[in-house]
Amino acid sequence: MLPSKALIKSTPTRPHKKSFFTASPRRRLRELGIKIGTMETGPYNAITDVEGVKVGHTTIIRGEGEKAVRTGVTVIIPHAGNIHEENVFASFFNLNGWGEMTGISNIENTGRLETPIFLTGTYNVGIVYDAAVKYLSRINPKLGDLDRMVSPIVAECFDDFLSDTRSRQISEEDVFRTIEGAHGGDVAEGAVGGGTGMTSFGFKGGIGTSSRRVHERYIVGVLVMANTASRNQLRIDGVPVGKEIKGFQNKSGKTKSIILIAATDAPLLPYQLKKMAKRVALGLAHTGAISQTGSGDIILAFSTANKILQKKAPSFHKIKAIDDFGITPFYQATVEATQEAIINALTSAQTTVGLDGNTAHGIPLDQVEQIMKKYMRIGTHNHE
Amino acid sequence: MNREQKSMEVIKHKLGKFSRGEKNSITDIMGVKVGHLSVNKDLLDPSGEKATIRTGLTAVLPYPMKKEMRLFTGSFILGGKNEVTGYEVTDDFCYLNSPIVITNSFNIGKAYNAILSYGFTLKRSEIWPPLVIGVDDSYLNDMRKSHLDEKDILGTFFNASEGMVEEGSIGVGLGLRAFGWKGGIGTASRVFSLDKTHFTCGALVASNHGNQKPLKKPEINFRSEDGKEGSLIIIIGVDVPLVPYQIKHITKSLMVGLPFSSPLKNSSDSVIGILFSTANPMSMKNDEPIVIEFQVVDDSFLGTVIQAASEATHEAFLNSLLKADPVQGRMGRKVATIPDYEIDKLLEKFETQD
Repeated sequence: MLPSKALIKSTPTRPHKKSFFTASPRRRLRELGIKIGTMETGPYNAITDVEGVKVGHTTIIRGEGEKAVRTGVTVIIPHAGNIHEENVFASFFNLNGWGEMTGISNIENTGRLETPIFLTGTYNVGIVYDAAVKYLSRINPKLGDLDRMVSPIVAECFDDFLSDTRSRQISEEDVFRTIEGAHGGDVAEGAVGGGTGMTSFGFKGGIGTSSRRVHERYIVGVLVMANTASRNQLRIDGVPVGKEIKGFQNKSGKTKSIILIAATDAPLLPYQLKKMAKRVALGLAHTGAISQTGSGDIILAFSTANKILQKKAPSFHKIKAIDDFGITPFYQATVEATQEAIINALTSAQTTVGLDGNTAHGIPLDQVEQIMKKYMRIGTHNHE
Repeated sequence: MNREQKSMEVIKHKLGKFSRGEKNSITDIMGVKVGHLSVNKDLLDPSGEKATIRTGLTAVLPYPMKKEMRLFTGSFILGGKNEVTGYEVTDDFCYLNSPIVITNSFNIGKAYNAILSYGFTLKRSEIWPPLVIGVDDSYLNDMRKSHLDEKDILGTFFNASEGMVEEGSIGVGLGLRAFGWKGGIGTASRVFSLDKTHFTCGALVASNHGNQKPLKKPEINFRSEDGKEGSLIIIIGVDVPLVPYQIKHITKSLMVGLPFSSPLKNSSDSVIGILFSTANPMSMKNDEPIVIEFQVVDDSFLGTVIQAASEATHEAFLNSLLKADPVQGRMGRKVATIPDYEIDKLLEKFETQD
């Protein structure tokens, strides 16, 4: 069940958008002509613009009515090597702790990321964790024997509006398949993987991603699993879109949690990644979300630039870091990419009917376009 | 002198200034239950490979789990590479809703999922987030091959008891060792009064640390063959009315003062401490009044609580060594019980601490 090399794509330019990702005309924010911020995106405008980062999804859609299951799992593989043997620096920010992200004790104490990152529904965490341990022990036969154990990162949002979460219909094989299918390049967004059952801002939410270039040579990429905030809070590029949209009310606007993962190929140390993780929270704030009590808003940031050997590390070795006084553009990139990733989750997600016939509508793109035009955010050059 | 007499001697020994609770265990706190699941078997796996399973799980149920409530809690992790699930809620909301489960690192997912199932079975609002702490028992146990069964884990929760707690090589303690000797589960309690009101403090530890060659002269002659990092897990319950900032203060003070915790001497060991107070149970329901009134002890009494918690933790640690039976595990490894004269050294060391 190792990730197959054949599936690793890291072509430098963005190919023509494949149509099978979105059966109905869902669009990414930029495809609507809306740009967030001032910085250029990477070729895929995705977390996979950070070289070596791969994303995989398994989407589980079964049954209807009270037996409807709309769930799944998304994996982010931090770099192309063996992450257990070559760790990368990471940090974590607990913006509002009503959520779960396992493996944090290790991140907080060592500053190192040593496993893939899994995103799933709340009640799937135990099963995904178990499968992740099995996967990691398979690729590292000494794990739990001569080597110490690792703690996989498994984060969750509660997909109870659309899915019969208690039935926990995710299997070990689903998790293995997700890792196997992870690839670079285009990332499917919206109602896919861990985002399948998520709702956000009163509309269908889920997975979204975006990236920014910094100083021509570095990338900051963000991927979110969005299941948070209420409709009238929604702002896109400062425009109160949520208040302006007509119709498409959900039966319930009760949504909770957002998991935000930031990645960069710029050399940043854990304390700097902590600061970057806090800027992810600012990006979230720009979308109008306020981190309500029931929302587990948990942020992880990692940098692929320094690879730290888990074993056989030389006694002294060099690590690189961006000087703190030159770090501000990375914060700008983080805030912009986070905003755009969250909105991409909305604009990419299809209307989904789930548990008990509950319907989460895809945000109406025609209305979004009209509102953004009204506020002069489309067809003007106010950002240039 | 046999082990039983030795334990009696230790129990008679004045460990600190407060007296013990009735059961000298964490279950002296009203409503707290403990359950153990031990798996001790040798088996052939389907590929014909031999597997020696010496593992298990220990659960502390901090309140009657059928009730829907949350308790104030706080945790302290020193150098922890161990998994602690439910970290975000503990850290940010400072509440505990779940059993606290200690198990080996390969079974964290299973235990996590079993806690969810347990909550669903009880027909209450969910038990979330599950709090599972991972330890490494791979010296004696084939960790890669030991997978606990969800039914057994559920059984452990249902059969958890308020009575005497079995100690030593039981539950998750079966495969643990400390300072190269057989470690495992230990518990102890203290009763004390704050302004004429009696309170109880109980500790339960899982000792699995000090197995690396120490830089400083060790407190005891230790026996060790490998240099694997370990951990000391400490769970403390009190019935003193405390709020989170006080719990945080107590937990931190306690961790720094532990003489046998060793992580500062063996830098890759870790200490994970969790303290909860049963005194201010809060409802899980949303229809509660918006203003909740808490009883809180004055900060000037926190020193006494720290002293009591510290004594209970010390004795629980000693008990984890003293009550442990020798275990033969994988690859023919044998881990012996700590000899009496080494315990005496620990007690001397303890006396000089005060």
